[in-house]
Amino acid sequence: MIILDFERVWPSLPYILEGVQVTLAYTSVSLLLGFVWGTLLGLCKVGHIASLRWFAAVYTSLFRGTPLLLQLILIYFATPQLTGYNISIWQAGILTFTLNSGAYISEIIRAGINAVDKGQKEAALSLGMSYPLMMKDIILPQAIRNILPSLVNESIDLLKESALISVIGGSDILRRATIVANDKYLYFEPLIVAGALYYVLVMILTIAAQFLEKKLKTS
Amino acid sequence: MIRLDNISKSFGHHQVLKEVSGRISQGEVLAIIGPSGSGKSTLLRSINLLEIPTSGRVYIDGICINDKKVDIEKIRTKVGMVFQQFNLFPHMTTLENVIYAPIKVKKIPRNEAQKLGKGLLEKVGLGGKFNTYPPHLSGGQKQRAAIARALAMEPEAILFDEPTSALDPEMVKEVLNVMKALAHTGITMVIVTHEMSFAREVADRVWFLDEGQLVEDSPSQVFFAAPQTNRAREFLEKVL
Ligand SMILES: Nc1ncnc2c1ncn2[C@@H]1O[C@H](COP(=O)(O)OP(=O)(O)O)[C@@H](O)[C@H]1O
Ligand SMILES: [Mg+2]
Repeated sequence: MIILDFERVWPSLPYILEGVQVTLAYTSVSLLLGFVWGTLLGLCKVGHIASLRWFAAVYTSLFRGTPLLLQLILIYFATPQLTGYNISIWQAGILTFTLNSGAYISEIIRAGINAVDKGQKEAALSLGMSYPLMMKDIILPQAIRNILPSLVNESIDLLKESALISVIGGSDILRRATIVANDKYLYFEPLIVAGALYYVLVMILTIAAQFLEKKLKTS
Repeated sequence: MIRLDNISKSFGHHQVLKEVSGRISQGEVLAIIGPSGSGKSTLLRSINLLEIPTSGRVYIDGICINDKKVDIEKIRTKVGMVFQQFNLFPHMTTLENVIYAPIKVKKIPRNEAQKLGKGLLEKVGLGGKFNTYPPHLSGGQKQRAAIARALAMEPEAILFDEPTSALDPEMVKEVLNVMKALAHTGITMVIVTHEMSFAREVADRVWFLDEGQLVEDSPSQVFFAAPQTNRAREFLEKVL
């Protein structure tokens, strides 16, 4: 008979809970930077400069075409080898997640820009606006508004994928749960706690996304 | 003020404009009419280079604007445009729509732009709609706001591309009235339209376009009373 022993996990709960902060820090910082990077890449994709369009396309293809875990390990272990710089776990995580989510977000941004009515661009140009001004104040605000739900989905993906940081020793939710597990020779309970924490975080984001979507529809 | 010199435009193998030449003087009201697909919009959009002609030249105030060295953004501030689909910026209030370009492009002070914008919106009958977002305006109100937005740049000319074609019938008049009030006040107006009685009443001159060719260029009285070409005569018989 299988006996579940959550009693032995309770004392370690605060320790696992502290991982929530870490997970959220990786997710939010990478999302913010990835959004900036993805916007720049998205602008390259819809722009007139062929070399930048090409760069953004190849970049996206590479980051979407290889495992995130490989990217993370590569950046963490190869950076010291190639540059001599001793990259921290935090830096490697943020860099990898930013570069990776930037690729996905650039696709979302590109689609968002293309979905803005063509007449908006013509109206802006006919008023004498420059291309950068038009993008910044006319096209991007409308594009980003339309893609907010997709961006929330991307943040959900990122939140779950951030668990990979535990592989190189980042002390996030998953890592702390496995430490507790190894410590107490008890696997199911701490991992279930970790799973529940991720699930609650994802649900909060999902509900926020639904709320946002409803709000955008009515306004 | 506007001179077209042998404008041709092709999309792929499809030649949409065939060596169109003509002049439009300062303050003149010109109606461009013709069957759908004859190239009216393409011609109009060539005047502010929303379409780049395949060959030929566009002169505005004597400057050839399809010269690479010309600052096209500056030229566009002199030639406003009003679209069939209004193309108001949906994320800005009506007043912001009107004052955005004067502030950001012409760099006039915000309070001055606000005074100008409010005055213009009042003039087109939208005095109570300063803070309304475009999705909450009716079609006629949107188009009047779009006219105010074009006027706020104080352009020398405004291009109208079928400004009433997307409107419910009961709203056509309010927009035409705003345009009538604007006509012969010094601003050049180039109007692509299917509103023949409006063209007859307001336009000084008519260009009749058919299959990409400028078939007839006549004073509007002459054009509507006795068109000079068979093609124009046939067209008028069909639409009048
Ligand atoms: N961007 C474009 N690409 C390809 N064909 C076009 C484009 N714009 C217009 N055309 C074609 O050019 C012709 C003239 O179009 P248009 O100038 O809009 O005519 P009108 O305004 O007189 O109805 C049409 O046959 C149309 O299909
Ligand atoms: Mg047209």
